[in-house]
Amino acid sequence: MNPAALLHDALLVGAILFALGLVGILARRNLIVMFLSAELMLQGISVSLVAWSRHHGDWGGQVLVIFVLTVAACEAALALVFVLQAFARTGRLDAAAWQALREANLPRAVDHGLPAVDSLPLTFPRLTPAGVLPETDDELLQREHV
Amino acid sequence: MSSTSPLTLLVLVPLLPLVAALVGVVFGRRLGGWAHLPAVVGIGASAVVSLALLAGTAERVKSAGTGADSAAPVSVEGVTTLWQWATVERAELPAALPPAGTGAFSIPVALRLDPLTATMLAIITCVGLLVAIYSTGYMHGDPGYPRFFVLVSMFVFSMTMLVAASNFLLVYVFWEAVGACSYLLIGFWYTKPEAARAAKKAFLVNRIGDFGLAVATFLLWMTYGTLNFHDVTLGDGTLVPGILGQARLGDAAGYVGGTIGAAICLLLLLAACGKSAQLPLHVWLPDAMEGPTPASALIHAATMVTAGIYLVARCAPMFMACPDALAAVSVVGATTALVAALIGTVQNDLKRVLAYSTISQLGYMFASLGTGTLLGFSAAIFHLVTHAFFKALLFLGAGSVMHSMGGVIDMRRFGGLRRIMPVTAATFLVGSLALAGVAPFAGFFSKDEILAALHGKGWPHAHAETHEAGPAHHAAVEPTVFPGANTAAGARFASFRRADDQGADRSPGTLDRPATWRILFWMSLVSAGLTAFYTFRAVFMTFTGPTRVPDEAGHHAHESPLPMTGPLLVLALASAVSGWWLFATHALSDFLAATPSFAAPAVAATAVPHAFHVDLAVQGSLAAAIGIVVAAFGHLGRRSDGPQMERFLGPLQVLFSQKFFIDQIYAALIVKPLLALAYLAALVDRLVVDGLVDALARVPAGLGAIVRRLQSGLLQRYALAGALGTLLVVLALTWRMRG
Repeated sequence: MNPAALLHDALLVGAILFALGLVGILARRNLIVMFLSAELMLQGISVSLVAWSRHHGDWGGQVLVIFVLTVAACEAALALVFVLQAFARTGRLDAAAWQALREANLPRAVDHGLPAVDSLPLTFPRLTPAGVLPETDDELLQREHV
Repeated sequence: MSSTSPLTLLVLVPLLPLVAALVGVVFGRRLGGWAHLPAVVGIGASAVVSLALLAGTAERVKSAGTGADSAAPVSVEGVTTLWQWATVERAELPAALPPAGTGAFSIPVALRLDPLTATMLAIITCVGLLVAIYSTGYMHGDPGYPRFFVLVSMFVFSMTMLVAASNFLLVYVFWEAVGACSYLLIGFWYTKPEAARAAKKAFLVNRIGDFGLAVATFLLWMTYGTLNFHDVTLGDGTLVPGILGQARLGDAAGYVGGTIGAAICLLLLLAACGKSAQLPLHVWLPDAMEGPTPASALIHAATMVTAGIYLVARCAPMFMACPDALAAVSVVGATTALVAALIGTVQNDLKRVLAYSTISQLGYMFASLGTGTLLGFSAAIFHLVTHAFFKALLFLGAGSVMHSMGGVIDMRRFGGLRRIMPVTAATFLVGSLALAGVAPFAGFFSKDEILAALHGKGWPHAHAETHEAGPAHHAAVEPTVFPGANTAAGARFASFRRADDQGADRSPGTLDRPATWRILFWMSLVSAGLTAFYTFRAVFMTFTGPTRVPDEAGHHAHESPLPMTGPLLVLALASAVSGWWLFATHALSDFLAATPSFAAPAVAATAVPHAFHVDLAVQGSLAAAIGIVVAAFGHLGRRSDGPQMERFLGPLQVLFSQKFFIDQIYAALIVKPLLALAYLAALVDRLVVDGLVDALARVPAGLGAIVRRLQSGLLQRYALAGALGTLLVVLALTWRMRG
């Protein structure tokens, strides 16, 4: 196969992976998904590195990729710990749950309702409500957790 | 006799109070009611050493005086150099220096011992000891008890160093140090606004005088190329003649006259005016009475304020080269004596009467110094000694009254205290008799000598005749030997004698005329009468008449305890006999004549035989008697409670009680304009300078306010910003690579 074409294809795959990861990070608010997207970007770069390494006949790129994998493994462990801790504090995996860390006098970003999607109403088994429903202030709750 | 032993002792004199002060600083709080121990022991030991030194020096003077047979004056001095404080090799030297200049500027920490220093040391430490003992009673129970004794010890250390220093820079250092101690003691009760203000005033007014001393020191260095009093022999054998060393004293042309010489002398006089509260810088001393009374007695009556007298006396040969400067000393002194005495006559605050009296008596000493005769110089120091005794006594007596009257010192509010406090009354009376110049108390003799010195200048021929009448006396007493103390005597022997003739016929200055001296003499005589008047006015108002006690004293107005009456009795004894004893034996004047500054040919040539001037004694006593009689007429007995005399004065009363409006004039001419300027400067500072700085400070804050809006707390936005930023960088790189 034509080495240039091989490089071309490999770089394309890397770029696609990177772009997917980037979109994932920018668009999704679930911390775990964001983390996965970051890994995806990393792998996209790794693919490019391997491709260039092969193209130039230089093992340096591949060695670098091995390092990246190692570091990514460690980083994954740490990141998962952070995500777990964040979940333990807020009870949510939403990154926007941490927007209380913004500058004090800025307004809170409000989620606009999504366009209505036809779907089956989810039904869960419910216990009979008992007692008074406590009033909760979402913002206050988050600040306390932070 | 080896010269090391007395000079080692000399170091102890300042050292012991310094150690006492340091011990007081470290252990003062822990000692509590015993905090006076280090000070009393330290100053006491120092006093013993000083007296030993005085005796030793007197012995040396005596043995030097009997050894040889020449007609030159005796001179005794010893110098010990502790260490070199600062040495600047190859310093810039003025070109006009005598060849002895070596080009090295060095400040040795050198202490000297000569009759003048020994006398001053004995006075300082003895009065200091008595005041320290007195203070154990007076300051008892004061929250600042340990602090007071630390300050007193510090003061004694500084003052002894000041009179023992053999270098103008050291003199300047300790000149400032005693000023600092004075400031701290005036403001001892610093929570009292008057005391804090008085301390500040004393400090600022003294600054003017200190400025004079600083500039005089610079001029001395530029003129003489050294600041030492004593001669220094360098390692290579060259002799650097000190400003007041034997080499220069013997040299008739040793001292610069003219403009520079007069400038140095007048600047020194300015310094002396500041420290010794002479016109026009006297305004701080009456206010300084806000301090504790023992401090007033020690610092503002007996010792520190005499530093100016000491300085001028020490620099006597320099002043002799400038007759006008010398006459200026007298004019300042006699004017101050008269003005302060006039103000003193209408004061109603007992301590302020004494304060103005101090200013007046210091004026006497300056008037005497300015005569530029050996008699004048020794009379000034004589009066300094007796004044230290009787004024300390009077101040301590006033303190005793104040102690018993619950802090009240206004004489109109108490009276007839002799029945309540007999010891204080008796000792105060002795002090007053001494101050008023009543024979045979101390002030009579010293004042008589001062009047004689002034009279001798005003009517020179009359004195020449008187003295010729008693030639036998003359020959018998005049000191006539120069063994050259501890420098090589032979070489300088001749020059000393040759200079004798030249000193006598110096040209008189414009001020230095008999007419001037006659006016000064009459002014002094009037002051003497006024002194007697205000002193006895105070005595009569305080101690005679019906017994009246202010409410503040409560029901326990009583005689002061033994620690306070003891020093009073000792000082009363000294005030009673010291004048007569020192005058009759000529002990002090013969002793002082051996001071190198007074043994200088220019000074020694003016020596006149000791004589008791009956005519002057009669005039002085008459003035004192008139003063006492007038005071008795106005204030004795039942009249003791009010301003009986003032109604005769008319408008003068306002003039006197407003202190000749000097404070108001200073306020209008100096204080108010300076305050206005300061206010203006503050305004500029607040509006312009601070405004600029604040404007600069607002720039980052404003920028921050803009950028701060990006901090949304939303992770996605940060990520987007990062991605867009990276994109920008990539685009820029791509564009550059293509271009």
